[in-house]
Amino acid sequence: MMKDSFSSFHPIINFGYFAAMLLFGMFLMHPVLQVIALLCALTYSILLNGRKAVKFNLLYMLPLFVVMAVMNPVFNHAGVTILFYLKNGNPMTLESILYGVSAACMFVTILLWFSCYNAVMTSDKFIYLFGKIMPALSLIFSMVLRFVPRYKEQIRRISLAQRSIGRDITQGNMLVRARNGLTILSIMTTWALENAIETADSMKSRGYGLPGRTSFSLYRFDSRDRLVGGALLALIAIMVIGEVSGRNAMRFFPSIKMAMTTPFSIIVFAAYLLLGMLPVIIHVVEALKWKSISSKT
Amino acid sequence: MEIYQLQDVSFTFPLSDQAALSHIDLTITSGEFVTICGRSGCGKSTLLRQLKSILTPHGKREGTIHYAGKPIEEANQRTQAAEIGFVLQNPDNGIVTDKVWHELAFGLESLGYDSGSIRLRVAEMASFFGIQHWFHKNVAELSGGQKQLLNLASIMAMQPSVLILDEPTSQLDPIAAADFIETLRKINQELGTTIILTEHRLEEVLPVSDRLIVMDDGAIIADDTPRRSGQTLFQMKHPMLAAMPSPMQICAGVEAGASAVPVTVKEGRQWLDAFLQGIPALHRESWSQPVVNAVAGVGKRQKPVIQFKEVWFKYSKDASDTVKDLSFEVEEGQFYCIVGGNGAGKTTTLSLTGGLVQPYRGKILIDGKNIAKMSAKELFTNQLAILPQNPQHLFVKKTVEQDLYEMLSGSPLSFVEKTEKVEDAVQFLELEPLLARHPYDLSGGEQQRAALAKVLLLEPRILLLDEPTKGLDGFFKDRLAHYLKKLNAEGVTIMMVSHDIEFCAKHGEVCAMFFDGSIITEKATKAFFAGNSFYTTAANRMARHVWREGVTIEDVIALCKQSS
Repeated sequence: MMKDSFSSFHPIINFGYFAAMLLFGMFLMHPVLQVIALLCALTYSILLNGRKAVKFNLLYMLPLFVVMAVMNPVFNHAGVTILFYLKNGNPMTLESILYGVSAACMFVTILLWFSCYNAVMTSDKFIYLFGKIMPALSLIFSMVLRFVPRYKEQIRRISLAQRSIGRDITQGNMLVRARNGLTILSIMTTWALENAIETADSMKSRGYGLPGRTSFSLYRFDSRDRLVGGALLALIAIMVIGEVSGRNAMRFFPSIKMAMTTPFSIIVFAAYLLLGMLPVIIHVVEALKWKSISSKT
Repeated sequence: MEIYQLQDVSFTFPLSDQAALSHIDLTITSGEFVTICGRSGCGKSTLLRQLKSILTPHGKREGTIHYAGKPIEEANQRTQAAEIGFVLQNPDNGIVTDKVWHELAFGLESLGYDSGSIRLRVAEMASFFGIQHWFHKNVAELSGGQKQLLNLASIMAMQPSVLILDEPTSQLDPIAAADFIETLRKINQELGTTIILTEHRLEEVLPVSDRLIVMDDGAIIADDTPRRSGQTLFQMKHPMLAAMPSPMQICAGVEAGASAVPVTVKEGRQWLDAFLQGIPALHRESWSQPVVNAVAGVGKRQKPVIQFKEVWFKYSKDASDTVKDLSFEVEEGQFYCIVGGNGAGKTTTLSLTGGLVQPYRGKILIDGKNIAKMSAKELFTNQLAILPQNPQHLFVKKTVEQDLYEMLSGSPLSFVEKTEKVEDAVQFLELEPLLARHPYDLSGGEQQRAALAKVLLLEPRILLLDEPTKGLDGFFKDRLAHYLKKLNAEGVTIMMVSHDIEFCAKHGEVCAMFFDGSIITEKATKAFFAGNSFYTTAANRMARHVWREGVTIEDVIALCKQSS
């Protein structure tokens, strides 16, 4: 699969995009906007994760959607348009059915955005962003990411060594296994503390703790980032204006009331679609560009 | 210009009445490559840590240390961090962050450089060390050799004027160790950085060193060019001589007062040729022939205790085979060594023998029984034991003594019987002075001994060893060999995988060459090394054009003496 081009942008652009999409996805209940968001999230998740995403969406997201949409009207009986009465005498309303569908749509959209977020915002991007705010915290993150695989490997080795003298958690009865497990854990702690002293020496020896520590990163905010960042801000601004002017308003209870569709709401919808599809558009444009370049040479 | 000047430096650890360093006088000039050697515990590391005061342990110091003309206490933390680089023994412990590029930048971040300068320095270092191919990798994906190189590069990025290394290659395999020493040579030659290192394996490092300092009991006993330091040791008949490169030892053994002592194999060959000049070649051939015949035959066959029958193994379904079509037998009472390069599958073979992993095709028989059908209890009591590569992985208690008793905790023996068994093991491995200490506080060789004692409490009849000589100095290696031979004489079968050719040649009975997942050749030790031309001991490489069967240092010395 081709590498996603949006991931290669500056982390602040990646993060800003996802923050915006998650917030809009959570608060905008207008059906047109919801459908747009769901569509965009679905497309991008398939673009990022390929066949795996299709399988995941069909297997987990679709059932989740159905269950959530059905659960709401069963428990929520608000709304004025009563369709029929349930056996226990509670009313089933049109509003609660539609609200259920809307909430399920929102929930699935958010989950999809998060799956995209996970693929794009790798640990070092996250560390970098937080390093800007709190440099010490970002170093801790980085050290934790170093230690976790190291400890896992060490536990594996100790467990293997213990197995070779018949004292691993896979050997003996339950009680013996539990005791062996605890022994491994305790020796692991001793080992970690012992080795941390040397790591501390290594840090001290390279001047850690001196005042005026800087934070280095491989990322550079270039003209491409500025361009996309500008577009991002402009689209977000349109969305915010739309919200303030009431173009995105939606009410479910007690009766359904949707904002009138005016020419400006069309612009807002278009802006949202463009915003949601931004990574996909970038990806397609770059792919086309690459094709035309490679066909010329 | 003098970079370091030590005058009458002594150092005593708190609560200790014996000085770890006594009356050290030392001057190191800028640009020198200084190697310090000595037994474990002779004060090498303590001396190195005096040279960077932020790493100096607590204790009482007398005398003065000048760095670049000023007392070292006057150099503040910033100066010391930037100018004095310190590489630790364990490559894993030196690395702080999770990414290679971040690790390279770590020191520069601490010193407060801006992004532009860090970018440049990091790029320079990555190119100099050839790191650019794994620049974006996670540290966890690197090999041990790469990790140590990364430690070095991240320190070199700060452009220090002196580089101090504490046994940097002890945890590396020979190929990675040679690469590392070569990189140090390059730094010294091309950048003029002063290098001070301690080392056990001197074969590679001596040819590139300007000076060899030998320490014993906290004092310097020789300090000169490697050649002359070696000569001083001969004159003193000092035990540290056993740590010198083979050509040097052979020369010392043959001509006590030799004027030009050889350091490398090449010089050793030249020395040998000069020594043998005038002795007719025919005379030498005539008696070397029978030796070859004598070593060719393997003794009468014993009952096989470890049998591999066409064994195949891979770590996961889609991985490539680690062990391929492996068949071999180890007979009862043998000392069987498997040698071979890194990643060839030697350690995997050991894990297979110990039943830690299962083959997907083929059979492994221990004492005639299929290992797949044996329970852990059956396999590990009075039958088979493995000494892991890192002895630390075996220790689970606060003191060595408790750790030994822990080994018998599951057995139905009475307290008196247990005490007896532990005492036997303690006596056998001479552990009395260490019993009350924490296992992690012992030196590498002592840990090895304590771990061996632990394993021996299982009273194994087959002992498997994984790289037992890793990180040990020559003295501890000899001690280990002594114990192993004693066990061997009591009828314990020993199977060992190792990179340490010299050790296998000296002590092994049968050697097998492992390559690409299988054993290529298997012969009695002498015949094995006489048959190889590159993968053999330094003594053999030096003398094989005259005597193919001269494998160990002792062999070559004896042959020299007989022919003169």
